[in-house]
Parts: sequence; C-alpha cells; structure tokens
Amino acid sequence: MLQVDIDSRDGATVVAPRGRLTMVSARSFRETVTDKIARTGGSVVVVDLSATEFIDSSGLGALVACLKTARQSGGDLRLAAPTEQVTMVLGLTNLDRVLRPRATVDEALRD
Amino acid sequence: MTEIPVRRSLDLAVEVESIELVLDTLSAWWLDVGDVDPRVRFGFDTAVIEIAGNVVEHAPAHRGPGRFSVELTADARTVSATVSDDADPVDVDLSAPTMADVDQESGRGLALARAGVDRLRYQRVGDRNVWRLESERA
Repeated sequence: MLQVDIDSRDGATVVAPRGRLTMVSARSFRETVTDKIARTGGSVVVVDLSATEFIDSSGLGALVACLKTARQSGGDLRLAAPTEQVTMVLGLTNLDRVLRPRATVDEALRD
Repeated sequence: MTEIPVRRSLDLAVEVESIELVLDTLSAWWLDVGDVDPRVRFGFDTAVIEIAGNVVEHAPAHRGPGRFSVELTADARTVSATVSDDADPVDVDLSAPTMADVDQESGRGLALARAGVDRLRYQRVGDRNVWRLESERA
C-alpha cells in the first residue's frame, strides 16, 4: 500500500510516498503528482523518499514521468532521503545520475 | 532457531494486487531466514518482484485471470525463489538484458531482476514458464 502526502514548503511542493511504490501504486502516484505539477506549474517538486520502503521498475517509471512533466512545465523534480533499497535500485538503473538524490528534503529545497 | 531450509509457498491470482502479497510474504520469510547482507536481501526482493510483475504484466488477456506460484527457499548458503505460471512461452535472452536509457519510463524490469541476484534462469518446463532466482547469502 502507498500513502502520498503532499505539502507546500518554501515555494516548492514536497511529495512523500509512504510505503511501497510498485506496479500496484505507480499509476495513481504518477497521476497525483502530475496533477499537482499542472496546478503549480514551474515550481520545484521534492520527492521525499524517507518512508518509501520499496520501489520497482514501475515506480521508477513513474518518477521519470514526473521528472519530465516537471521540466516541461519549467520546474524541476528532485529526490531526497532515499531508503536503502531505493538507493540501490536508483544506482542499478543509473537513474541516480539524472535524479541525483539529496540526503535530506532541506538540501533538495536549497539546491 | 528456525529450521533450515526456510520455505514459503504462494499460489496467487495473476493480478496486480498479488504483488503486495508477494512483498508481505518476503518480509515474513526474511524474519525466519535470519542474517543476510542487506544488499543481498534488497537485490533479491527487487528481482522477485520484477519477475512476478513480468508474469502479471504479460498475462494473456484472452484467457481470463490465471494463477501463478512463488516459492521461497533459504538454506545455510543460498536464498532462492521459483516463480512459475502457465502462460505462453516467454522469448527472452537473460544473458544480457538491456537497461532502458534514463529518460525512458519502462524497460528496466528484466535488467533489474538480473542485476538483483547472482543467478537468474528461465526455462519452459512442460506447459509452464519457470523462473529461478538465486543468491549467495553472503
């Protein structure tokens, strides 16, 4: 199961997927985040991964889709505080090179 | 002390929601398996979920919902999983699965499964697809 918390902070949107971001939840996560980006066009979205226990290739696909949507609207998407499994999977897929996870949400907001 | 080997078996509907049950079962199984390097565990979980996801994603729509099975086994040296279904044969080259480019939204599943475990094998056995995944515990 996945719960998605969305907050506004320092002019940015902080999205926190809590639980498992897998093929079960990836589509609705993607829709939730891209809807939010459409309403706050051009701003920075930080995905707080500190409570994301597990991610699969569908979840990674959703993050890539959200990154594209954010950039197309003139904003950006940054990852923060990934857990151990998420860090490993981002590395194995080379996505850590484009999504460059920051250690904390605050760091991601400052960049 | 849990007896070796530590086994779990699942018989599941071929539907997206079954992925949650596989993850629940993996979590419970690891508690009995005992000490394993976290990288071995996370790689193994990732690989099993990618293969189960592949089974769900490529289920033949014309046949209605089918079943698939997941068997987990840990002994003193290895952790292994067997994932099988009775769908059509899979045409796959596991010797060098390609990882999708970073701007692609799909095409990472098999490469991730391959990278997550020490050994990944696919066989057609009778009328079943059988995926076998195995890693050394340390």
